[in-house]
Order: sequence, then structure tokens, then C-alpha cells
Amino acid sequence: MSDRKKASLLVVVIDTNPVWWGQRLVDQPDKSLTQFLDSIMVFTNSHLMMNHRNKLAVIAAHTNQSCFLYPRAESREAAGGGEPGGAAGAHDGKYELFAQVNEQVMEEVKNLILTSLEGHSETDSLLAGALAMSLCYIHRCEKESFTGEDLSSRILIIKGSEDNPAQYMNFMNAVFTAQKQNVTIDACILDNDSGLLQQACDITGGVYLKIPQPSGLLQYLLWVFLPDPTLRLKLTLPPKAQVDYRAACFCHRNLIDIGYVCSVCLSIFCSFSPICSTCQTTFKFMGLPKIAKKKQKKLNP
Amino acid sequence: MSRSSEEVLLMVNYVRNKKTDGMLYMMGERMAWMQNSKNTFSYSHPYADIKSQKISPDSKEKVQLQVVMHNGSANTFHFNNPEGRSAQIQDRDAVKELLQQLLPKFRHKLSSELEEKNRLLKENPELFQLYKDLVVTQVITADEFWATQANKYTNGGEKGELKQQTGVSAAFLADIKPQTDGCNGLKYNLTADIIESIFRTYPMVRKKHAEHVPHEMTESDFWTRFFQSHYFHRDRTTLGNKDIFSECAKKDEEDIKEEMDKNVKDPFLDLTQLTDSTLDEGYGGTTEDKRISHNHTNLTMIRRFNYHSTMVLKACEKNMGQQESHKGDSATNSSEQIGDSPSPMMNGEASTSSNTEQSEPVTKKARIREKLELEDFQPEEKEKSLNLQLSRMDRYLHGPTPVVAVRYTTGEDMMQATHSVATEISHWTPNLTQVISENVALSVLGELSPGGALMHGTSLQQLHQMVSPNVQEELKQQYNALCELLRHFWACFPTSSKFLEEKVVRMKSTLERFQMAKLNSLKEKLEEDHYSIDLTGHMEEMLAAAYRKFDMWQSKRIQKKS
Ligand SMILES: [Zn+2]
Ligand SMILES: [Zn+2]
Repeated sequence: MSDRKKASLLVVVIDTNPVWWGQRLVDQPDKSLTQFLDSIMVFTNSHLMMNHRNKLAVIAAHTNQSCFLYPRAESREAAGGGEPGGAAGAHDGKYELFAQVNEQVMEEVKNLILTSLEGHSETDSLLAGALAMSLCYIHRCEKESFTGEDLSSRILIIKGSEDNPAQYMNFMNAVFTAQKQNVTIDACILDNDSGLLQQACDITGGVYLKIPQPSGLLQYLLWVFLPDPTLRLKLTLPPKAQVDYRAACFCHRNLIDIGYVCSVCLSIFCSFSPICSTCQTTFKFMGLPKIAKKKQKKLNP
Repeated sequence: MSRSSEEVLLMVNYVRNKKTDGMLYMMGERMAWMQNSKNTFSYSHPYADIKSQKISPDSKEKVQLQVVMHNGSANTFHFNNPEGRSAQIQDRDAVKELLQQLLPKFRHKLSSELEEKNRLLKENPELFQLYKDLVVTQVITADEFWATQANKYTNGGEKGELKQQTGVSAAFLADIKPQTDGCNGLKYNLTADIIESIFRTYPMVRKKHAEHVPHEMTESDFWTRFFQSHYFHRDRTTLGNKDIFSECAKKDEEDIKEEMDKNVKDPFLDLTQLTDSTLDEGYGGTTEDKRISHNHTNLTMIRRFNYHSTMVLKACEKNMGQQESHKGDSATNSSEQIGDSPSPMMNGEASTSSNTEQSEPVTKKARIREKLELEDFQPEEKEKSLNLQLSRMDRYLHGPTPVVAVRYTTGEDMMQATHSVATEISHWTPNLTQVISENVALSVLGELSPGGALMHGTSLQQLHQMVSPNVQEELKQQYNALCELLRHFWACFPTSSKFLEEKVVRMKSTLERFQMAKLNSLKEKLEEDHYSIDLTGHMEEMLAAAYRKFDMWQSKRIQKKS
């Protein structure tokens, strides 16, 4: 064990979509964004506590941008330079790293939400961008890690808002990159089941969990998502759910089990049409129409 | 007819089988053995069942004969004539020779079809299981089984396994190693293969054989004469004069001449210009080798060799024709046909040769063109390709997210929500010691513990561990059998013919029988084993679907009739 210095890099992607969180606040005032952020802070502190080599990054997937909450971007670090040190000094006796993480996350979230107030908001979050940023950060950390250090990386996505269908391609590309880079993607779903994340977790071997009690978030995080993927094999964790890999038809965007695929452009359709509406290829069927005609003739007299 | 087939050809006494004395009967279509004290046959082997016979070597004390069946079993007879060993051997050889004559006849009779089916069953254990499940238990008839199954296997097989006929070894005649019998005679052991080789190589011998054998002389007589004949020994010192094979020799001469006339017609190859002139040791010599053999025997020998090689090669070429005449050969009294069968062959060849003469310039041109025109230098013909024109590319970019899932929210709602979050977050100071209440944590733990709400289904995953391998195997077999029956059933639709209509009704009752006899008993057995899972449910569903279809079909038919 001690021969190879094992370290774990955890990238937490938090969905901070203000619209979704705001609606939640109206429905259930006790389950607010701040409470969730508290839970996530405890969880990230726990991760850092597991091993002093463990590393952490927190990224916010917002409605119009994705940004690092921790560690802070270097340009911003220089701007607010004196503050983190002073804040750490204020909480006397606290582990400095914890204080630093918590302070930074808090400041950055406040900053993010308050500055984006004026901009245009959507009901979905830019998850693909956050995922790509995570992968880049992981890649950088792996490059920077000492020789002999065994860095295993994973991404935890905590998400409440809906999937953004327009980001499908980018998202799936990021997922396949993660698979190639041996990065596990876990998903903790607060509200809407996400077909895309189900696939992402299934492809990368992570855990997809839609939690029934959002107020107990910390417990789920500590129980299911804190252990490393290698350790999870030895635990009795919730079974993997059947992943819905069905495709949506191009014509109505319905999920279909069996459909027609254009042999030229690979468009998917829920019903047969003699001309592909994407590439205008005409399909001729020799056998089928004849039978139909015969039947009609039989029926007529 | 039955009498002739039961006619006893040979009776041999003092034959022991499994240490009991008895009598061996060789009859028209079977060989049988009867124990001395009894008057019924203990064993009876139809010749068609016998694959081969084996005899004990002379070095062995016991004089025995073994017959090996097609199904792999064997039966050994011990010849135990009290008159001594030579009598025993005589008895045995009599049986052996008779079998030698009889077996080839019956080999043809054994339908190749049956053998094929046997082979199929042997090679496909699953098919065999299906056969056992469906045919042996009389759920469907063997014919029905083969009608559907066999096509599947044989059709695929026909392409791949159409057996290439083995050619004739050029040395087949030399390989027949005669044994000296000690008194200035030679003994040839002819197997059916060798005989076939001789026939294939020398069609004239086949013709002669067919003309003479059953009527004028015995099989062994014929072959004795063949080996003694001038024909066979032509290149050695001549023996007898009056010979049934002299005609063959004449025919052969004609053939040789014909072959020589045919020559090789290749404009790039002139065989007549071919000489044995080698470059000299000094690299430059062109001394021509003008040694011409004047030894007549040598010449004939070389001619014979060439002819033999020609015939051996032709034996393969003639595959198709040969098979036809082969059939005629096995039929006993169709000597006329046999007489004819080689001749169309010859005519055919003659006509083709004359054809080639006429078309010589054409073939010559083709041959020259083949040499001159190189494919690589031909201008490449590019096929015109169509460009892919895609409209509405964005369709590819959408994920498998149904549009209906998007919740509609007004701009006002969104603004309000955003602002409430903003006010909340501006007053936020993390309070990390009060994140979760004990009650909530406990109930979450409950969900995550085995048996909890989130752990549902963990036990189901080990289905293959819960069901014993035996039961799994049996389930698999039943599935196989049922699916096969259902396939038969559904294949009847649409019922376009009277036959299919009848078959549907029959299949329906077959399915019911299957459910009664097989599925229900399996179900009972599973219940005894206390399986909590419904393992037969799916099969019952499939049956129910078939019954529903049948009922619908029947009611429609009744409506039509009324
Ligand atoms: Zn559609
Ligand atoms: Zn198309």
C-alpha cells in the first residue's frame, strides 16, 4: 500500500442553476441551495480528510457559464489575494485547507450568482462545459503529479435541473473522453432523472443515484460517493439501474425501441417513409407493396 | 420377392458368438446367427447396416470375423470347425468373400439421406436434443422435423460441403501389392476403392465388367482374368491370346491417337519444338540431344505411362458423367444403359475437339489478347459518386431527450426564482455542524441498507446462482423444444393452403400436448424445488399467445364459412 503513493482527485460539479433552485425555494423553503452547499462542503472536507494526498476541485455548472469554485483561477487569486489567508486566521484551530476550501467556495458561489443576476437565465445548466473543464483539470493534475504518485480521478455531478438536449453531442464527447481517460463519472440526482447522466455513469462505471430524500444529501454522499471506485466493489451499494439507451426519432423526438434507420445518413425515424427527410434518399421496396395491393383487392369484392 | 431376399446363400456351422455355439446364415439381405439349441435368430444384421468387416490376422490362434455396423457397434463371430484350423479358415473365408461381394451392393442402397441425417444429429448436439424431445416423444413426426430442420442444415451444407471427389492416385495400380501364395501364384487383394479406381480410370474395363460379370463369370474370375490379361501385362511378356480385354487394348490405342491429335493448342507453346537440349557446361553449347530410342518396348511403355496419366487426370474431369454411369452400374440389370453411358461421353469429347478446331482463331486471339493487355494499364473507370446533402443537421445534435419533458416556465417565474436565490445566498454563512438531522440520516441509512428502498433488486441479480445447473439445463431444453414447436406453428400463417390449415390445427394440439406432458411436469418439479421465481411464466405466455392467435384464426374461419 505505502509503496505507491495513492491519491484521489475528486472533481465535484455542482448544478447551481438559479431558476431551478429558486423554484425549489418557493416549493420547499427548508431545502435551499445554501443547505446543499453546506452538505457538499462537509463532503469535500471528508474527502480531503480521507488521505492527506487527496485533491479536490469544485466546479459550478451555471445557467450561462461554468466556473471553478475551488481552486480559484489564478487571475482571481491575485485580485483577492489577502483575503483567504485572513479568513483562515479568523477560524482559529481549524484545519487550514478546510477553511480555505469553504471560504473560497462560499465567495465564488456568491460572486457567481450575484453577478449573473442581470444575464439571461435558462432552466437548464451547462453541464457539458463543466464536464470538459473537469477533464482538463484532471488531465493537468495527472501531468503535474509526482512520479510514483498514483492519482485516480473521478467526477461527481450533483444535479437538479433538466438535461439540455442541445448539449447532447458535447456532453457525450466529454463522457467518452472520460471513459478513455479512465475517469469515473458519478451522478447524484436531486430531482429530474437524467438519461444522459445515466449513460455517462454506465459508460464510465460510476454510480448513478437519484436520491429520494434531498434533505439527507450529506448521508448519501458520504455513504455512496465518498469511497473510491476500487473500494466500491467490496461494498454493498445500490444496484445499477437499467440504463435507457433508446434513441429518439428525428421526426418527433420520441424515444423508440424499434425504428427505421436511413442506410445513407443514419437518421432515425419512428415510421417508414419512402424518402429520408434528412438526406432525401428514396427507398424502393419491392416486396411489401404487392402484398398490400393483393389484400386490398381481396377485400374490395 | 421376399423369398429371394430370404434365400440362404451360405450356411456355416460351428460358429461361436459370445461363447455359445451356433450356426451362421448368410441370406439375401442379411446375415443372421442362431444358437444351436434354439430355432430363432439371436442376431440378425441386414447388410445395409454393416459398415465393414474385419478378420483376425493369421498369426492369431482364434479364427474370427468381425462385422462393424454403421452405428458403431460390432459383432464378432468365432469360427470353430472341429476339423481343424484350415477348415476354420476356409469357413471364414467363404463368409468373408460373400460379404465382400454383398456389402458394396447394399452400401449403395443405404440411402445417403439417412446417413446424412445421422451425421447431422451427431454433429449438432442441440439438434439431437431437439430430435429427442420432439420426435422420439412423438410430438411431431420425423418427416416434419426433417422437413423444416434439414433444410436449415443441409442447404447451408450443400454449398460448403458438396464433396469434391477424390482423384485417383496415379500409383493405384502399383499399390495393389500382390502376395505370393507360395505355389507360384499371386494373390491380389482388391478393395472396393481400388475397383472403383480401375473403373474410373479405364471406362472400358467397367463396360466389360458390366457385360460379363454376373452372366458369364464370377467377380473373382473377372479380376483374375484382368490381372492375367494381355491388357494388364501388355508391356511385359504376353500371356494368353483369347482375352476379353483385347478389345480394350484396341480402344485404348484409338484413345491414345485421339489424345495425340488433340495436342495442346496454345499459340505460345509449341510442344513439338521442345527438345532436351541443355546449355552446355561451358554455358554456350547448343548440342542437340538426338538420342531417339528405338527400343519398341520402351516406347510403348512411355506411351502407356502417358496414357495412364491422361486417364487418371480424366477420371477427375469426368466427375459428373461418372456419377451418372455409376448409378446405372449399381442397378443390376441395366447393362444396355451402361453400354451406352460411356459413349455419349466420347461423342461429347469428339464434338468439343472439332469445335475447338473451328474456333481456333478466336481462342488464339483471346489468348494473345490475354498476354498483351494488362489490367493494371487499363484506364481506371471512376464511378460517379453522389454528395451527401443533409438538411436539418441539428437533428443529429439533439440527445435522446423527448421534447415533452421540458417544463414550461415563464420569464417572470425565472426572474423571481433567480432573485430569491440571490437574496438567500447573500445572507449565507456556512454552518457545517448542523447540516443533517439524526432522523433524516437514519432514514437514509435505512434506504441504503440491504432490503432498503434503494437496494431493491440486488438479490435478483444472482438468478443463475439460485437455480441449479440441472434445472437451468432442463429449462434450456424445454425452451428449445417449445420454440421449435412455436416456430412450426407461426410458420403456418398466413394459412394459404389446405395443407397449412391442417398443419395449424395439428400444431395447436401438439402445443397443448407439449404443455400437458412437458411444461406442466416441469412446473410441478420446479414447485417441489421451491423456487420463488416463476421460471416457466414466459413459456406459458408464449403458449398463450399462440392459443390466442389460433382462436382468432378459427373464429375468423367459422365466420367466413357461415
Ligand atoms: Zn418520430
Ligand atoms: Zn437519410
